[in-house]
Amino acid sequence: MDLTAWLKGLEDSGLAVGIRSSLYYFPFLESVHVMALAVVFGTIVVVDLRALGIASRHRPFTRMSSELLKITWGAFLVSVLTGTVMFTTNARVYAHNTAFQVKMVLLLIAGINMAVFHLSAGRTVARWDQAPAAPGIGRLTAGLSIGLWVGIILAGRVIGFTTTGAQAKEAPPPAGNFDDFLNNSPSSSPAPAQPPTPQ
Amino acid sequence: MNNFAEWLSTTAPSVYMQIHEAWMIPVIQSLHIVGIGTAVGSALMIALRVLGWVGTDQSLLETQRRFGPWLAGALYLLLASGLLLVVAEPVRELVTFSFWLKMACVATMTMIVVTYQRSVKQHEIEWEHTFIRRPGVRVATLLTFVLWGCIIILGRLIAYDHIWGHLSPATKA
Repeated sequence: MDLTAWLKGLEDSGLAVGIRSSLYYFPFLESVHVMALAVVFGTIVVVDLRALGIASRHRPFTRMSSELLKITWGAFLVSVLTGTVMFTTNARVYAHNTAFQVKMVLLLIAGINMAVFHLSAGRTVARWDQAPAAPGIGRLTAGLSIGLWVGIILAGRVIGFTTTGAQAKEAPPPAGNFDDFLNNSPSSSPAPAQPPTPQ
Repeated sequence: MNNFAEWLSTTAPSVYMQIHEAWMIPVIQSLHIVGIGTAVGSALMIALRVLGWVGTDQSLLETQRRFGPWLAGALYLLLASGLLLVVAEPVRELVTFSFWLKMACVATMTMIVVTYQRSVKQHEIEWEHTFIRRPGVRVATLLTFVLWGCIIILGRLIAYDHIWGHLSPATKA
């Protein structure tokens, strides 16, 4: 199937149209995305710093990772869901955006990096669980993990600056505000094709 | 505040950042988000330990000693990067309802963090055996999650301040 047509189909979906026509949904999705990301990043760094031997050096690695990675995965799921829904609102623009592509590649590398950790240091964890730090390969992947996630955050932020107004020609941006919402008399046009300016 | 913001935007550091805004703003905002992630991660570890859901192999004081400095460090990073963002875009930040509501939430959060930190050091035994079981403490701990959520939402809403309608000074300008 033609990719552009498929992306256009995503943009025309009821969900995407509904989000674009609202003043509140997109900022709300962005906020939940940042909250989930904060938890993903925060918990991953705690586990990575333990593997690196920088912090929590005397706690069993398996105890920390089993407790925290459940939270990480839950938050990651939320960020994937909110990210996917935001993507559908302007799919063709995001798909062709370099920062978006870089972010997806970095996420893929972070996934591979995690797999490498599990297949190397993860297999011998019984031997170093109580040790102050993971073996060399484990420390390498833990350090890379922090760097990759900082890169993912940076690429994600650049998306907002490089996609703004990319479809502005198609329809006016939504007008209206909280007052209209309270007064129940929206002054916005029915279905603007542009999500509220993300920056 | 409008006049102050406009004056600030004409100062040399602000002008410098405006000239280089194409890369400086995303980089500083990203550092700000890294700070948010570190602060939320550290605060989450302390809060989940108070609730007894995570890290119960460590005492409250040990948990505080492990994550407290990281939380404080992250708050300093947030303050520094936040100040830079205000200097770079004074009108965008200062002339918004979201920014000032966020600052009120940040001030409340800072007070909670500092109060807890002092209290757990001074009353270690009471915290470990008595305070931790008090419903008020547990509810307050859960409320910090809500407060972090508000801080993040309001931070994002600075870019969308017009949604507040007449509450937003930006719509009056």
